[in-house]
Amino acid sequence: MPSVPLIHPAEAELEADAGAVSGNVRTPRFMVPVDGRPACDGLIRAACRMAEARGAPWIGVHLDGPRPLLSSRVEERRLADNLRLAEELGADLIRLHFSSRSVARELLALAKTHQVTHLVVGRGEPNWRARLSGSLLEDLAQGDFELVIHVVPTKSSAAPSPLAPEPPEALDLSNLGIAIGFVALATGVGFLVFHYLGLADVIMLYMLCITAAATQFGRWPTLIASVLSILALDFFFIEPRYTFVLTDIQHIGTFTMMIGVGWVILGLAERIRAQTRLAQNQERHTRTLYRLGKELAEGGSVAAIQQRVVLFLRQELDLPVALLLCDAQGRLPVPVGTGLRLEAEELEIARTVMERGVPVGHGTELFTQSPCLMLPMPGTERPLGVLGLWFTTGGAMPASRLDLLVPLASQIALALERASLAEDRTEARIQAKHEQLRSNLLSSISHDLRTPLGTITGATTTLLNPGPQSAPGDPKVLLGTILQESRRLLRMVNNLLDITKLESGLVQAKKEWAAIEEVVGSALSHLEEQLGSRPVSVELPEIWVAMDPVLMEQALINLLDNAIKFSPPGSAIEVRGWVEGEQFRLSVADEGPGLPPGEEELIFEKLFRGTGRPVTPGAGLGLAICKGIAQAHGGSITGRTRPQGGAQIIIALPMTGVSPELNPDFNS
Amino acid sequence: MPEQQPLVLIVEDDSQLRQYLTTTLRSHGFKVAEATTWEEGRSLALQLAPDVVLLDLGLPDGDGLSLARELRGASRVPIIVVSARGREEDKILALDMGADDYITKPFGSGELLARIRVALRHSVDPAAPPPSVVEVGGLRMDFLMREVTLNQKPVRLTKNEFDLLAVLIRHAGQVLTNGQLLQEVWGETSKAHATYVRIYMRSLRKKLEADPTRPRLLLTELGIGYRLKPELDSQSE
Repeated sequence: MPSVPLIHPAEAELEADAGAVSGNVRTPRFMVPVDGRPACDGLIRAACRMAEARGAPWIGVHLDGPRPLLSSRVEERRLADNLRLAEELGADLIRLHFSSRSVARELLALAKTHQVTHLVVGRGEPNWRARLSGSLLEDLAQGDFELVIHVVPTKSSAAPSPLAPEPPEALDLSNLGIAIGFVALATGVGFLVFHYLGLADVIMLYMLCITAAATQFGRWPTLIASVLSILALDFFFIEPRYTFVLTDIQHIGTFTMMIGVGWVILGLAERIRAQTRLAQNQERHTRTLYRLGKELAEGGSVAAIQQRVVLFLRQELDLPVALLLCDAQGRLPVPVGTGLRLEAEELEIARTVMERGVPVGHGTELFTQSPCLMLPMPGTERPLGVLGLWFTTGGAMPASRLDLLVPLASQIALALERASLAEDRTEARIQAKHEQLRSNLLSSISHDLRTPLGTITGATTTLLNPGPQSAPGDPKVLLGTILQESRRLLRMVNNLLDITKLESGLVQAKKEWAAIEEVVGSALSHLEEQLGSRPVSVELPEIWVAMDPVLMEQALINLLDNAIKFSPPGSAIEVRGWVEGEQFRLSVADEGPGLPPGEEELIFEKLFRGTGRPVTPGAGLGLAICKGIAQAHGGSITGRTRPQGGAQIIIALPMTGVSPELNPDFNS
Repeated sequence: MPEQQPLVLIVEDDSQLRQYLTTTLRSHGFKVAEATTWEEGRSLALQLAPDVVLLDLGLPDGDGLSLARELRGASRVPIIVVSARGREEDKILALDMGADDYITKPFGSGELLARIRVALRHSVDPAAPPPSVVEVGGLRMDFLMREVTLNQKPVRLTKNEFDLLAVLIRHAGQVLTNGQLLQEVWGETSKAHATYVRIYMRSLRKKLEADPTRPRLLLTELGIGYRLKPELDSQSE
């Protein structure tokens, strides 16, 4: 093809850069068509070398077109291999369906849209198909933009794929039987109509059955139906009948026609079948990826995604599936979501996948015979792990599966990485919130401790150095202040110690059978001074409740203290106990403004002081302590605003065991 | 009150607290001796034979509990243990080991003086026979007749109730642990349980208290035991 302006490899190597030829400074970009021909891998490597020599990106293009007639599954497998090779070597892959346009036109259009400067094509061995379809190179040279075309003499460098011997198309005996049945039927019908119609009609009958076989059953049945038809025609209908002797030379033409028509129809049917298969495959891939995408879009934690993905893949692929995620050190832990235990070989496969970042195992070049196929799950910074599939049912994996599985694994990896990043963020937020809380606690404590200390120090210095005009009653006032502030300080310190002990888990409720009125009475006597003349109504059942009386008294003191603080002076406080189901409930209610709506839960959080409420002394620990105490008893605490107004805090304790008066050991 | 000034030995390592105790007690007519360590406490207690010992449980050179046992082994001097809040086990241990009472830091002077007076009263004459009739508040207990009246009205008590009340009233003002009460009423070998004490206290309160949640006589020392409220001023001794 000397008339075409081409650059041969030797020249191409000399040529420094595409810009020198085209005269402008477009960045070089290479493109190579990828197909299933045996020589293609050499072409891909050549393109890779050229692109790398110039530090240029390169694109591998596969044009998914009408398959050549009778294209084999070997070829399909090789195509998949070649595509993978291109990807591994660093090509961006483009797969396009091409319609009726010529390969050259498609390639040129693609090259233009992707701003390709160099196209690498193979010269290939002369083959009748290429000649029939006209020269690809000539067509390529028709491009209306500048494009350097490298023609590489191709010959396959790769050893034949280890899996290359594809099992031949299985000879389906039932199909064959039906095809033979067609011929028999045609023969029978032929006998019936032979007298009334002519030989031509009988021939048409046989044609019909060959056509039927070709469209329905593939190669072998068509071939056999054709041969049988010709034999039957010759034997039964062509003079001299009932012999295979052929006297009329014109019938040889007929037979040739019959076989020819059969082949043409078979070819068409095969092509349609192949395209249908392709379309079905792609449709299935798309659907699977789409459904996986939907599944992954639900988000959630890394663990949840793992579970969902494993479940989804198991349903979708009908295979045992495992996700192996790396730990923080990049080591592979045990598989998630399966009862599978990894064999030594499978661990080796996983390690190889991690090292090379390519699928390894069943049906690939390494560990081909293993039932296990592992796919990489690449992350943005480091591999996230491995997706493992077990082809336990045997049988070669269709090459198309790998096309599906690789992007599947990538998609899963992406979702997992996203989830893990989100988890990291959440953790960081929680951490920040803890920090915030700690600093709140610190500032609150330092305020609450310093204020009374300041008052005490101040009042004391005044007492030691009274001013010249101090009134005789001053010392008593100041002393009262000191006493009050000391008590406040004591309460603060006690609360701090209590919450620290409760939070550190040092406190264990030492449950004993307690007379509830003793606990309530003790708490009330503690607060005698603060309660003053407030009416306190107490209503308790005469029962025994298993509790730690000292802790429960502490809780009650805090509840009563709150009730005193948050209700008007002189208003009534109500302490009530009752049994509800399996629980003993103890409530303290006041006649104050009640709980801030929507914050009934929050009030039990440490440092919560209520929004929009006047700041009251105390670091907001009292109710948190009560909650801790209730929980230490295996109970709970709730708060509400009573319908008639006022806050009510209820501690619920589980009632377990036999109360002492029912104990048969006990007798007076 | 004894005509002589009673001697209080303070075993306390904190100098400020010691100073406060000394000042307070002196101003209320007590003589005071001070010890700052376990060793000093023991030797002073043996040398001076104080009328009351105020013993801090947290001493720098030794456990206050062991000092309490040591002192109790040597004499019948009333010991009042000074302890921090939340150490109920320590208090019970100290009381069972022979301490007479406890007081929780921080405490006011009124509380302190009351405890000391109760301790002194019970130590006046340990050898003297117990009185046959004791009155506390409106409660009058006749040990010989085994009769109890509350505000001149007779109260019917079961044997165990009577025995329990009797122990409490003999130690009026003093705290008694559940263990001590059990031992006094049911005896050393009894398999009785601390719960019994609470059961009898409940029934006693029902008979003697108008409002069991606001007891005037039978006070609860939660987690430790019980105390009969002393009414020192109306006390007939």
